[in-house]
Amino acid sequence: MRESKLNGIFFLLALLLVWELAARAEWVNPLIVPAVSKIVGTFSELLWSGHIPVQILASLKRAAVGYALAAAIFIPLGIFMGLFDNIRRALEVSVEMLRPIPPPVVIPAAMLFFGLEDEMKIFVIFFSCAWPILLNTLDGVRNIDRVLLHTARTFGLPQRKIIWQVILPASSPQIITGLRVSLPIVLILVVISEMVGSTDGIGYFILDAQRRFRVAQMYAGMLALAILGYVLNQLFNLAHRSLLGWHWGMTKKME
Amino acid sequence: MNGSGKFNRTGWLVFGLFLLLWECGSRSSPKLQVYIPPVSQIVVALSHLIVSGQVTTHLFTTLRRFLEGYLLAAAIAVTVGVALGYFRFAHSLTEMLIEFLRPMPSVAIIPVAILLLGIGDSMILAVTVYASTWPILVNTIDGVRHIERTLIDTGRTFGLARRRILWQIVLPAASPYIVTGLRVSLSIALILVTTAEMIAGNKGLGFFILDEERSLQSSNMYAGIILVAVLGYVLNRLFVVLQEKAMKWRRGMVAREGV
Repeated sequence: MRESKLNGIFFLLALLLVWELAARAEWVNPLIVPAVSKIVGTFSELLWSGHIPVQILASLKRAAVGYALAAAIFIPLGIFMGLFDNIRRALEVSVEMLRPIPPPVVIPAAMLFFGLEDEMKIFVIFFSCAWPILLNTLDGVRNIDRVLLHTARTFGLPQRKIIWQVILPASSPQIITGLRVSLPIVLILVVISEMVGSTDGIGYFILDAQRRFRVAQMYAGMLALAILGYVLNQLFNLAHRSLLGWHWGMTKKME
Repeated sequence: MNGSGKFNRTGWLVFGLFLLLWECGSRSSPKLQVYIPPVSQIVVALSHLIVSGQVTTHLFTTLRRFLEGYLLAAAIAVTVGVALGYFRFAHSLTEMLIEFLRPMPSVAIIPVAILLLGIGDSMILAVTVYASTWPILVNTIDGVRHIERTLIDTGRTFGLARRRILWQIVLPAASPYIVTGLRVSLSIALILVTTAEMIAGNKGLGFFILDEERSLQSSNMYAGIILVAVLGYVLNRLFVVLQEKAMKWRRGMVAREGV
């Protein structure tokens, strides 16, 4: 394990070295593919001058609001659809009709309503992660062991307590799966919506740098985005582990 | 979500009601009509666009780009994935690289692709391939690594040639994972094609939709969105049908094992 990690690091460094040399020796056009050292230099410059952090914060704010909004609406909706067959059947067709729409094509429609404001991106993000969150929650609730529900009812728990103490915990692994699947989608849609219609944010920054032919800045922006994606993923894993520790403990004991 | 598979009357009723509400709401306010034209008007626009052939070229362009990108990505990702899953050393070399590149939102590659390839078909192809490679690649690697060693060892004991081990043991055993990856990539490929068309295209449905929005032809824009949705839906259904056909052998096996 340790050795394989070392191998990976060496390989990565070797690749970067080849890149650096290729750019310096002008095997590739350094105007299009600048040397790694130059990109990293630009990156740290933009980082400390606050240019990149400002753009990332703008993007993160939109992402967080859209994501939270989708979770706040579609997790409860999924629970109700999972609990009550009538509601599920009533909404099923509408969901199936909206779901195949690829989220980026919603951007023009959202621009019609909200212009280039934050609301536009928030709506697009909200729309894009609605389905994974809704369908995973629904599946989670529908797959709950019926015995659990019957036991809770036999003990005379009120509906509200059943939802909070039985249904939510029992379906939480799948709800979290939905949230997890949505995370990269959210990030993609923030970037797309900022590229198509925005005046700030990291997606705008990258495309704008390309259009102004500030190539090193463009790569620096991509580097920032890659780091952001990685960090978000790690953070989510961390939260996942601490939130669902009880679940893993239980399933392990059962084995 | 297809619970029973039988006709869902309530569901269609609710959906119809929703459309009716849309129609009436839009008709009652001329100001709203600019943004949300009545459903009937959108349907008329859609049929007009199809009959006049105005939209069909865009549709076929998008479809062709999607197919090229998706199939190329599948070919590359499965080949590389099998190799990386099979050879530990190769995997240990590239693991870090994959872990670093994968979380980067794939659309960020579009500006680079524009820089390197200019605006055009090859740019759109490149970004589609790049983005849809990851899910297939990662799943294929996982699938191959999860194959029981006994299966491969048995093949070796029987003196099977390398090529036959690959085709008759490794690929079938990893196929459920590969199919999962292919499925995820299907929607990603469509997302990338339409996005690239919006950012730097002069053809295709993505371009069409954004263009209609900019010229405030909202009925045409919604018609375009409906077309993309239909395209996505049909492609997804097609995938499910093909998958069921291709993976039929496995269902029999899994059932027999009682898993």
